[in-house]
Amino acid sequence: MSRARAFARDAIGSRDLIHMSAATANFQVRQLSVLLGGNPAALKDWAASWEKGRVLGYVAVICTGAGLYGAAMGYWRSPVQAGYNLVKFPLVILATTMGNALLNGMLAPLLGLDLRFRQSLMLVLMSFTIVAAVLGSFAPIVFFIVWNTPSLAGQQEVSWAAYNFVQLTQVVLITFAGVAANLRLFRLLHSLSGSGSVARKILFAWLAGNLFLGSQLCWILRPFIGSPVLPVEFFRPNAFQGNFYETVFRAIGHLFS
Amino acid sequence: MNDSHSTPPPIPANPPSGAPALPLGSNPDEAVPIPNFVGAIEAILRQPRRVMFQLRQPGSGRLIAAMLTVSVVCSLIYGVIAGTFSGGTQLWAAPVKSTCGLLISALICLPSLYIFSCLSGSSARLGEVFGLVAGLLLLMTILLIGFAPVAWVFSQSTESVAAMGALHLAFWLIATCFGLRFLSAAFAHYSHSGDGLKVWIAIFLLVMLQMTAALRPILGTADTFLPKEKQFFISHWMKSLKAGK
Repeated sequence: MSRARAFARDAIGSRDLIHMSAATANFQVRQLSVLLGGNPAALKDWAASWEKGRVLGYVAVICTGAGLYGAAMGYWRSPVQAGYNLVKFPLVILATTMGNALLNGMLAPLLGLDLRFRQSLMLVLMSFTIVAAVLGSFAPIVFFIVWNTPSLAGQQEVSWAAYNFVQLTQVVLITFAGVAANLRLFRLLHSLSGSGSVARKILFAWLAGNLFLGSQLCWILRPFIGSPVLPVEFFRPNAFQGNFYETVFRAIGHLFS
Repeated sequence: MNDSHSTPPPIPANPPSGAPALPLGSNPDEAVPIPNFVGAIEAILRQPRRVMFQLRQPGSGRLIAAMLTVSVVCSLIYGVIAGTFSGGTQLWAAPVKSTCGLLISALICLPSLYIFSCLSGSSARLGEVFGLVAGLLLLMTILLIGFAPVAWVFSQSTESVAAMGALHLAFWLIATCFGLRFLSAAFAHYSHSGDGLKVWIAIFLLVMLQMTAALRPILGTADTFLPKEKQFFISHWMKSLKAGK
Protein backbone atom coordinates (compact mmCIF):
# COMPACT_ATOMS: atom_id res chain seq x y z
CA MET A 1 0.00 0.00 0.00
CA SER A 2 2.66 2.46 1.06
CA ARG A 3 4.78 1.46 -1.94
CA ALA A 4 1.84 2.18 -4.23
CA ARG A 5 1.40 5.57 -2.56
CA ALA A 6 5.06 6.32 -3.01
CA PHE A 7 4.83 5.33 -6.66
CA ALA A 8 1.78 7.56 -7.12
CA ARG A 9 3.57 10.43 -5.39
CA ASP A 10 6.62 9.89 -7.62
CA ALA A 11 4.42 9.82 -10.70
CA ILE A 12 2.77 13.10 -9.72
CA GLY A 13 6.14 14.58 -8.90
CA SER A 14 7.64 13.69 -12.26
CA ARG A 15 4.54 14.95 -14.07
CA ASP A 16 4.92 18.24 -12.20
CA LEU A 17 8.53 18.42 -13.22
CA ILE A 18 7.69 17.90 -16.88
CA HIS A 19 4.99 20.52 -16.55
CA MET A 20 7.39 22.92 -14.89
CA SER A 21 10.19 22.43 -17.35
CA ALA A 22 8.14 22.59 -20.49
CA ALA A 23 5.04 24.56 -19.59
CA THR A 24 6.25 28.11 -19.82
CA ALA A 25 9.27 30.09 -20.81
CA ASN A 26 8.26 32.78 -18.36
CA PHE A 27 9.44 32.38 -14.83
CA GLN A 28 6.43 32.16 -12.55
CA VAL A 29 6.41 32.41 -8.78
CA ARG A 30 5.24 28.81 -8.45
CA GLN A 31 8.36 27.68 -10.30
CA LEU A 32 10.46 29.10 -7.47
CA SER A 33 9.83 25.94 -5.46
CA VAL A 34 11.32 23.85 -8.28
CA LEU A 35 14.37 26.10 -8.36
CA LEU A 36 14.76 25.96 -4.58
CA GLY A 37 14.23 22.19 -4.63
CA GLY A 38 17.29 21.99 -6.82
CA ASN A 39 16.19 18.83 -8.64
CA PRO A 40 18.79 18.51 -11.43
CA ALA A 41 16.32 16.71 -13.71
CA ALA A 42 14.11 19.81 -13.88
CA LEU A 43 16.79 22.45 -13.69
CA LYS A 44 18.90 20.91 -16.47
CA ASP A 45 16.32 22.01 -19.03
CA TRP A 46 16.11 25.49 -17.57
CA ALA A 47 19.88 25.85 -17.67
CA ALA A 48 20.14 24.56 -21.21
CA SER A 49 17.88 27.12 -22.81
CA TRP A 50 18.06 30.90 -22.74
CA GLU A 51 14.55 32.26 -22.43
CA LYS A 52 14.08 35.96 -21.98
CA GLY A 53 10.99 35.60 -19.79
CA ARG A 54 12.73 33.27 -17.42
CA VAL A 55 15.84 35.44 -17.20
CA LEU A 56 13.68 38.47 -16.42
CA GLY A 57 11.95 36.36 -13.77
CA TYR A 58 15.28 35.56 -12.15
CA VAL A 59 16.29 39.22 -12.22
CA ALA A 60 12.93 40.13 -10.66
CA VAL A 61 13.44 37.60 -7.85
CA ILE A 62 16.98 38.91 -7.25
CA CYS A 63 15.76 42.52 -7.17
CA THR A 64 12.89 41.70 -4.84
CA GLY A 65 14.54 39.19 -2.52
CA ALA A 66 17.95 40.82 -2.16
CA GLY A 67 16.39 44.29 -2.16
CA LEU A 68 14.02 43.48 0.69
CA TYR A 69 16.75 41.83 2.71
CA GLY A 70 19.04 44.82 2.16
CA ALA A 71 16.25 47.21 3.13
CA ALA A 72 15.59 45.31 6.34
CA MET A 73 19.29 45.43 7.15
CA GLY A 74 19.61 49.13 6.35
CA TYR A 75 16.51 50.04 8.36
CA TRP A 76 18.60 49.60 11.49
CA ARG A 77 20.52 52.72 10.52
CA SER A 78 17.66 54.74 9.01
CA PRO A 79 14.70 54.43 6.61
CA VAL A 80 16.73 56.31 3.97
CA GLN A 81 19.51 53.73 4.24
CA ALA A 82 16.84 51.05 3.83
CA GLY A 83 15.77 52.72 0.59
CA TYR A 84 19.36 52.85 -0.66
CA ASN A 85 19.91 49.19 0.19
CA LEU A 86 16.81 48.27 -1.75
CA VAL A 87 18.80 49.26 -4.84
CA LYS A 88 22.34 48.47 -3.74
CA PHE A 89 21.92 44.83 -2.70
CA PRO A 90 20.49 43.65 -6.04
CA LEU A 91 23.03 45.87 -7.81
CA VAL A 92 25.93 44.01 -6.16
CA ILE A 93 24.52 40.64 -7.20
CA LEU A 94 23.72 41.64 -10.78
CA ALA A 95 27.02 43.51 -11.28
CA THR A 96 28.96 40.50 -9.96
CA THR A 97 27.05 38.18 -12.28
CA MET A 98 27.65 40.36 -15.32
CA GLY A 99 31.22 41.32 -14.41
CA ASN A 100 32.29 37.70 -14.20
CA ALA A 101 30.01 36.35 -16.92
CA LEU A 102 32.71 36.22 -19.57
CA LEU A 103 35.27 34.66 -17.25
CA ASN A 104 32.82 32.09 -15.88
CA GLY A 105 31.76 31.22 -19.42
CA MET A 106 35.39 30.55 -20.38
CA LEU A 107 36.30 28.62 -17.24
CA ALA A 108 33.50 26.04 -17.55
CA PRO A 109 34.69 24.49 -20.85
CA LEU A 110 38.33 24.79 -19.80
CA LEU A 111 37.60 22.87 -16.62
CA GLY A 112 35.74 20.08 -18.39
CA LEU A 113 32.09 21.04 -18.94
CA ASP A 114 31.26 22.33 -22.40
CA LEU A 115 28.71 24.98 -21.44
CA ARG A 116 27.80 27.80 -23.80
CA PHE A 117 28.31 31.34 -22.53
CA ARG A 118 24.60 31.84 -21.95
CA GLN A 119 24.25 28.49 -20.19
CA SER A 120 26.96 29.33 -17.66
CA LEU A 121 25.42 32.77 -17.16
CA MET A 122 22.04 31.08 -16.64
CA LEU A 123 23.49 28.70 -14.02
CA VAL A 124 25.12 31.53 -12.07
CA LEU A 125 21.93 33.57 -12.33
CA MET A 126 19.88 30.61 -11.07
CA SER A 127 22.25 30.21 -8.14
CA PHE A 128 21.99 33.90 -7.22
CA THR A 129 18.21 33.67 -7.61
CA ILE A 130 18.18 30.96 -4.94
CA VAL A 131 20.34 33.16 -2.68
CA ALA A 132 17.99 36.12 -3.21
CA ALA A 133 14.88 34.04 -2.62
CA VAL A 134 16.27 32.66 0.64
CA LEU A 135 17.43 36.12 1.76
CA GLY A 136 14.08 37.62 0.78
CA SER A 137 12.30 35.05 2.90
CA PHE A 138 14.48 36.10 5.85
CA ALA A 139 13.79 39.80 5.31
CA PRO A 140 10.77 39.91 7.69
CA ILE A 141 12.81 38.14 10.38
CA VAL A 142 15.70 40.55 9.97
CA PHE A 143 13.26 43.46 10.04
CA PHE A 144 11.76 42.08 13.23
CA ILE A 145 15.21 41.71 14.83
CA VAL A 146 16.19 45.22 13.77
CA TRP A 147 12.87 46.59 15.02
CA ASN A 148 13.57 45.07 18.43
CA THR A 149 17.15 46.35 18.55
CA PRO A 150 17.95 49.89 19.73
CA SER A 151 18.25 51.99 16.57
CA LEU A 152 21.63 53.18 15.38
CA ALA A 153 20.18 56.46 14.17
CA GLY A 154 21.43 59.40 16.21
CA GLN A 155 23.30 57.24 18.71
CA GLN A 156 26.84 58.23 19.51
CA GLU A 157 27.50 55.16 21.66
CA VAL A 158 26.67 51.83 20.06
CA SER A 159 25.71 48.93 22.26
CA TRP A 160 28.27 46.33 21.26
CA ALA A 161 26.05 43.45 22.34
CA ALA A 162 23.29 44.68 20.02
CA TYR A 163 25.76 45.44 17.23
CA ASN A 164 27.39 42.02 17.47
CA PHE A 165 24.03 40.26 17.61
CA VAL A 166 22.78 41.92 14.43
CA GLN A 167 26.12 41.36 12.71
CA LEU A 168 26.16 37.68 13.68
CA THR A 169 22.58 37.24 12.49
CA GLN A 170 23.50 38.69 9.10
CA VAL A 171 26.53 36.40 8.80
CA VAL A 172 24.49 33.31 9.71
CA LEU A 173 21.64 34.13 7.31
CA ILE A 174 23.85 35.09 4.36
CA THR A 175 26.03 32.01 4.92
CA PHE A 176 22.95 29.80 5.00
CA ALA A 177 21.63 31.31 1.75
CA GLY A 178 25.05 30.95 0.09
CA VAL A 179 25.51 27.34 1.17
CA ALA A 180 21.98 26.39 0.09
CA ALA A 181 22.47 27.93 -3.36
CA ASN A 182 25.91 26.47 -3.92
CA LEU A 183 24.86 22.97 -2.89
CA ARG A 184 22.13 23.13 -5.52
CA LEU A 185 24.52 24.55 -8.09
CA PHE A 186 26.99 21.76 -7.32
CA ARG A 187 24.30 19.10 -7.75
CA LEU A 188 23.33 20.63 -11.07
CA LEU A 189 26.92 20.89 -12.29
CA HIS A 190 27.52 17.30 -11.18
CA SER A 191 24.49 16.14 -13.08
CA LEU A 192 25.51 18.07 -16.21
CA SER A 193 29.14 16.97 -16.23
CA GLY A 194 28.68 13.47 -14.83
CA SER A 195 31.79 14.04 -12.74
CA GLY A 196 32.08 15.22 -9.16
CA SER A 197 35.63 16.39 -9.71
CA VAL A 198 34.70 18.58 -12.71
CA ALA A 199 31.70 20.00 -10.82
CA ARG A 200 33.88 20.81 -7.80
CA LYS A 201 36.52 22.53 -9.95
CA ILE A 202 33.97 24.68 -11.76
CA LEU A 203 32.09 25.56 -8.60
CA PHE A 204 35.33 26.52 -6.87
CA ALA A 205 36.51 28.64 -9.81
CA TRP A 206 33.14 30.44 -10.10
CA LEU A 207 32.94 30.96 -6.35
CA ALA A 208 36.46 32.34 -6.16
CA GLY A 209 35.82 34.79 -9.00
CA ASN A 210 32.44 35.90 -7.68
CA LEU A 211 33.72 36.34 -4.12
CA PHE A 212 36.72 38.30 -5.36
CA LEU A 213 34.70 40.75 -7.46
CA GLY A 214 31.66 40.75 -5.16
CA SER A 215 33.73 41.79 -2.13
CA GLN A 216 35.17 44.74 -4.02
CA LEU A 217 31.76 45.80 -5.34
CA CYS A 218 30.41 45.69 -1.77
CA TRP A 219 33.35 47.84 -0.75
CA ILE A 220 32.62 50.40 -3.48
CA LEU A 221 28.90 50.47 -2.70
CA ARG A 222 29.38 50.81 1.06
CA PRO A 223 27.71 51.64 3.45
CA PHE A 224 25.01 49.02 3.82
CA ILE A 225 24.42 49.87 7.47
CA GLY A 226 26.95 52.58 8.17
CA SER A 227 28.47 54.10 11.23
CA PRO A 228 26.05 56.15 13.35
CA VAL A 229 28.55 59.02 13.43
CA LEU A 230 28.68 59.27 9.62
CA PRO A 231 25.90 60.60 7.41
CA VAL A 232 23.55 58.30 5.51
CA GLU A 233 24.74 58.22 1.89
CA PHE A 234 24.29 56.13 -1.22
CA PHE A 235 28.08 56.22 -1.88
CA ARG A 236 30.79 57.36 0.47
CA PRO A 237 32.77 60.28 -1.04
CA ASN A 238 35.83 58.00 -1.02
CA ALA A 239 34.01 55.04 -2.58
CA PHE A 240 36.68 54.54 -5.22
CA GLN A 241 39.65 55.10 -2.91
CA GLY A 242 41.41 51.96 -1.73
CA ASN A 243 40.06 48.48 -2.06
CA PHE A 244 38.66 45.79 0.17
CA TYR A 245 41.79 43.63 0.18
CA GLU A 246 44.20 46.50 0.92
CA THR A 247 42.04 47.38 3.90
CA VAL A 248 42.07 43.79 5.15
CA PHE A 249 45.87 43.56 4.75
CA ARG A 250 46.32 46.89 6.50
CA ALA A 251 44.08 45.74 9.35
CA ILE A 252 46.11 42.52 9.71
CA GLY A 253 49.30 44.62 9.62
CA HIS A 254 47.99 46.86 12.43
CA LEU A 255 47.10 43.76 14.43
CA PHE A 256 50.67 42.49 14.38
CA SER A 257 52.48 45.84 14.62
CA MET B 1 6.49 28.11 -23.37
CA ASN B 2 7.07 28.38 -27.04
CA ASP B 3 7.02 25.13 -28.92
CA SER B 4 10.35 26.03 -30.40
CA HIS B 5 11.76 26.09 -26.89
CA SER B 6 10.22 22.86 -25.64
CA THR B 7 13.33 20.83 -26.41
CA PRO B 8 16.28 22.89 -25.28
CA PRO B 9 19.72 22.02 -26.59
CA PRO B 10 21.49 19.48 -24.41
CA ILE B 11 24.54 20.51 -22.43
CA PRO B 12 27.36 18.29 -23.62
CA ALA B 13 29.89 17.09 -21.08
CA ASN B 14 33.52 16.57 -21.95
CA PRO B 15 34.81 13.01 -21.58
CA PRO B 16 36.30 12.19 -18.16
CA SER B 17 39.85 13.41 -17.84
CA GLY B 18 41.05 9.95 -16.84
CA ALA B 19 40.09 8.47 -20.21
CA PRO B 20 43.03 7.52 -22.48
CA ALA B 21 43.83 10.20 -25.10
CA LEU B 22 42.61 9.19 -28.55
CA PRO B 23 44.72 10.02 -31.59
CA LEU B 24 43.97 13.44 -33.05
CA GLY B 25 41.35 13.32 -35.79
CA SER B 26 39.62 10.21 -34.41
CA ASN B 27 36.55 12.36 -33.75
CA PRO B 28 34.96 13.60 -37.02
CA ASP B 29 34.29 17.01 -35.40
CA GLU B 30 38.02 17.60 -35.19
CA ALA B 31 38.34 17.36 -38.95
CA VAL B 32 35.97 20.31 -39.48
CA PRO B 33 38.09 23.31 -40.56
CA ILE B 34 38.10 26.40 -38.35
CA PRO B 35 36.73 29.13 -40.63
CA ASN B 36 37.36 32.44 -38.86
CA PHE B 37 38.40 34.37 -35.74
CA VAL B 38 35.27 33.50 -33.78
CA GLY B 39 35.68 29.86 -34.75
CA ALA B 40 39.24 29.93 -33.44
CA ILE B 41 38.11 31.35 -30.07
CA GLU B 42 35.29 28.82 -29.80
CA ALA B 43 37.56 25.95 -30.74
CA ILE B 44 40.39 26.80 -28.35
CA LEU B 45 37.91 26.97 -25.45
CA ARG B 46 35.65 24.04 -26.28
CA GLN B 47 37.49 21.80 -28.73
CA PRO B 48 41.23 22.24 -28.17
CA ARG B 49 41.86 18.90 -29.93
CA ARG B 50 40.27 20.37 -33.05
CA VAL B 51 42.83 23.19 -32.99
CA MET B 52 45.66 20.67 -32.48
CA PHE B 53 44.43 18.57 -35.39
CA GLN B 54 43.89 21.53 -37.71
CA LEU B 55 47.42 22.77 -37.01
CA ARG B 56 48.72 19.52 -38.48
CA GLN B 57 46.78 19.97 -41.71
CA PRO B 58 48.13 21.67 -44.84
CA GLY B 59 47.12 25.34 -45.00
CA SER B 60 47.17 25.80 -41.25
CA GLY B 61 48.77 29.22 -41.80
CA ARG B 62 45.35 30.91 -41.93
CA LEU B 63 44.41 29.45 -38.58
CA ILE B 64 47.71 30.53 -37.07
CA ALA B 65 47.23 34.04 -38.49
CA ALA B 66 43.69 34.17 -37.08
CA MET B 67 44.88 33.04 -33.64
CA LEU B 68 47.70 35.58 -33.60
CA THR B 69 45.39 38.40 -34.72
CA VAL B 70 42.88 37.64 -31.98
CA SER B 71 45.73 37.39 -29.45
CA VAL B 72 47.03 40.82 -30.46
CA VAL B 73 43.55 42.40 -30.29
CA CYS B 74 42.76 40.82 -26.91
CA SER B 75 46.16 41.81 -25.55
CA LEU B 76 45.64 45.40 -26.70
CA ILE B 77 42.22 45.53 -25.03
CA TYR B 78 43.59 44.14 -21.77
CA GLY B 79 46.48 46.60 -22.03
CA VAL B 80 44.04 49.52 -22.29
CA ILE B 81 42.31 48.25 -19.14
CA ALA B 82 45.70 48.11 -17.40
CA GLY B 83 46.45 51.61 -18.73
CA THR B 84 43.27 53.07 -17.17
CA PHE B 85 45.00 52.74 -13.80
CA SER B 86 47.33 55.66 -14.59
CA GLY B 87 45.55 57.17 -17.60
CA GLY B 88 47.31 59.69 -19.86
CA THR B 89 50.05 58.24 -22.03
CA GLN B 90 49.64 54.86 -20.36
CA LEU B 91 46.35 54.43 -22.19
CA TRP B 92 48.34 53.74 -25.36
CA ALA B 93 51.71 52.80 -23.85
CA ALA B 94 50.41 49.95 -21.66
CA PRO B 95 48.60 48.12 -24.51
CA VAL B 96 51.59 48.53 -26.81
CA LYS B 97 54.00 47.26 -24.16
CA SER B 98 51.85 44.33 -23.02
CA THR B 99 51.26 43.19 -26.61
CA CYS B 100 54.90 43.60 -27.63
CA GLY B 101 56.02 41.86 -24.44
CA LEU B 102 53.79 38.90 -25.15
CA LEU B 103 54.83 38.55 -28.80
CA ILE B 104 58.55 39.11 -28.12
CA SER B 105 58.49 36.52 -25.29
CA ALA B 106 56.87 34.00 -27.61
CA LEU B 107 59.34 34.73 -30.42
CA ILE B 108 62.35 34.55 -28.10
CA CYS B 109 61.22 31.20 -26.72
CA LEU B 110 59.98 29.64 -29.97
CA PRO B 111 63.35 28.26 -31.18
CA SER B 112 64.08 26.66 -27.80
CA LEU B 113 60.62 25.05 -27.76
CA TYR B 114 61.28 23.54 -31.17
CA ILE B 115 64.69 22.24 -30.07
CA PHE B 116 63.32 20.84 -26.82
CA SER B 117 60.51 19.11 -28.70
CA CYS B 118 63.02 17.55 -31.09
CA LEU B 119 65.18 16.44 -28.15
CA SER B 120 62.12 14.76 -26.63
CA GLY B 121 61.71 12.72 -29.80
CA SER B 122 58.80 14.73 -31.15
CA SER B 123 58.00 14.77 -34.85
CA ALA B 124 56.43 18.26 -34.77
CA ARG B 125 57.43 20.63 -37.57
CA LEU B 126 58.46 24.21 -36.78
CA GLY B 127 55.19 25.46 -38.29
CA GLU B 128 53.18 23.22 -35.99
CA VAL B 129 55.18 24.35 -32.96
CA PHE B 130 54.60 27.96 -34.03
CA GLY B 131 50.87 27.21 -34.30
CA LEU B 132 50.79 25.69 -30.83
CA VAL B 133 52.50 28.78 -29.39
CA ALA B 134 49.87 30.89 -31.19
CA GLY B 135 47.22 28.72 -29.50
CA LEU B 136 48.91 29.28 -26.14
CA LEU B 137 48.84 33.07 -26.70
CA LEU B 138 45.23 32.96 -27.86
CA LEU B 139 44.02 31.07 -24.80
CA MET B 140 46.01 33.31 -22.48
CA THR B 141 44.74 36.55 -23.95
CA ILE B 142 41.06 35.60 -24.21
CA LEU B 143 41.18 34.53 -20.58
CA LEU B 144 42.72 37.90 -19.75
CA ILE B 145 39.74 39.51 -21.48
CA GLY B 146 37.54 37.50 -19.11
CA PHE B 147 39.44 39.02 -16.21
CA ALA B 148 39.30 42.53 -17.70
CA PRO B 149 36.07 43.71 -15.99
CA VAL B 150 37.46 42.67 -12.59
CA ALA B 151 40.79 44.35 -13.33
CA TRP B 152 38.99 47.52 -14.38
CA VAL B 153 36.93 47.67 -11.16
CA PHE B 154 40.10 47.37 -9.08
CA SER B 155 42.13 49.80 -11.20
CA GLN B 156 39.45 52.45 -10.57
CA SER B 157 39.45 51.94 -6.84
CA THR B 158 43.07 51.74 -5.79
CA GLU B 159 46.14 53.94 -6.07
CA SER B 160 48.63 51.26 -5.10
CA VAL B 161 50.88 50.19 -7.98
CA ALA B 162 52.02 47.20 -5.93
CA ALA B 163 48.45 45.99 -5.33
CA MET B 164 47.48 46.41 -8.98
CA GLY B 165 50.73 44.78 -10.09
CA ALA B 166 50.02 41.78 -7.88
CA LEU B 167 46.48 41.54 -9.22
CA HIS B 168 47.58 41.67 -12.88
CA LEU B 169 50.28 39.11 -12.16
CA ALA B 170 47.74 36.78 -10.56
CA PHE B 171 45.44 37.08 -13.59
CA TRP B 172 48.35 36.60 -15.96
CA LEU B 173 49.49 33.52 -14.02
CA ILE B 174 46.04 31.90 -14.13
CA ALA B 175 45.70 32.62 -17.86
CA THR B 176 49.21 31.29 -18.52
CA CYS B 177 48.46 28.07 -16.59
CA PHE B 178 45.50 27.36 -18.87
CA GLY B 179 47.56 28.23 -21.95
CA LEU B 180 50.39 25.96 -20.90
CA ARG B 181 47.93 23.17 -20.18
CA PHE B 182 46.82 23.42 -23.82
CA LEU B 183 50.44 23.33 -24.97
CA SER B 184 51.26 20.31 -22.80
CA ALA B 185 48.16 18.45 -24.02
CA ALA B 186 49.18 19.16 -27.63
CA PHE B 187 52.76 18.02 -27.11
CA ALA B 188 51.55 14.79 -25.54
CA HIS B 189 50.45 13.83 -29.07
CA TYR B 190 53.95 14.38 -30.43
CA SER B 191 56.13 12.94 -27.73
CA HIS B 192 55.72 10.78 -24.61
CA SER B 193 58.49 12.51 -22.70
CA GLY B 194 57.42 15.84 -21.25
CA ASP B 195 60.69 16.70 -19.47
CA GLY B 196 61.92 19.04 -22.19
CA LEU B 197 58.61 20.86 -22.20
CA LYS B 198 58.75 21.36 -18.43
CA VAL B 199 62.15 23.02 -18.75
CA TRP B 200 60.85 25.19 -21.58
CA ILE B 201 57.81 26.24 -19.50
CA ALA B 202 60.14 27.43 -16.73
CA ILE B 203 62.18 29.43 -19.26
CA PHE B 204 59.06 30.91 -20.87
CA LEU B 205 57.67 32.01 -17.48
CA LEU B 206 60.98 33.65 -16.55
CA VAL B 207 61.16 35.49 -19.87
CA MET B 208 57.63 36.82 -19.50
CA LEU B 209 58.26 37.89 -15.91
CA GLN B 210 61.42 39.69 -16.98
CA MET B 211 59.33 41.55 -19.59
CA THR B 212 57.51 43.26 -16.69
CA ALA B 213 60.84 44.85 -15.74
CA ALA B 214 62.26 45.32 -19.24
CA LEU B 215 59.18 47.21 -20.46
CA ARG B 216 58.41 49.05 -17.22
CA PRO B 217 56.35 50.92 -16.40
CA ILE B 218 53.31 49.01 -17.67
CA LEU B 219 51.49 50.32 -14.58
CA GLY B 220 52.31 53.68 -13.05
CA THR B 221 54.11 56.53 -14.81
CA ALA B 222 57.67 57.39 -15.89
CA ASP B 223 59.48 60.14 -17.78
CA THR B 224 60.56 57.83 -20.56
CA PHE B 225 58.72 55.20 -22.60
CA LEU B 226 61.29 52.53 -21.73
CA PRO B 227 63.48 52.32 -18.59
CA LYS B 228 66.96 53.84 -18.58
CA GLU B 229 68.27 51.46 -15.93
CA LYS B 230 68.47 47.68 -16.38
CA GLN B 231 66.95 45.60 -13.63
CA PHE B 232 66.09 42.01 -12.84
CA PHE B 233 62.34 41.57 -12.34
CA ILE B 234 62.64 40.53 -8.69
CA SER B 235 64.62 43.65 -7.76
CA HIS B 236 62.09 45.77 -9.72
CA TRP B 237 59.22 44.25 -7.76
CA MET B 238 61.06 44.69 -4.46
CA LYS B 239 61.68 48.36 -5.25
CA SER B 240 58.01 48.84 -6.13
CA LEU B 241 56.97 47.17 -2.87
CA LYS B 242 59.41 49.26 -0.82
CA ALA B 243 58.20 52.43 -2.51
CA GLY B 244 54.87 51.48 -0.95
CA LYS B 245 52.88 52.89 -3.83
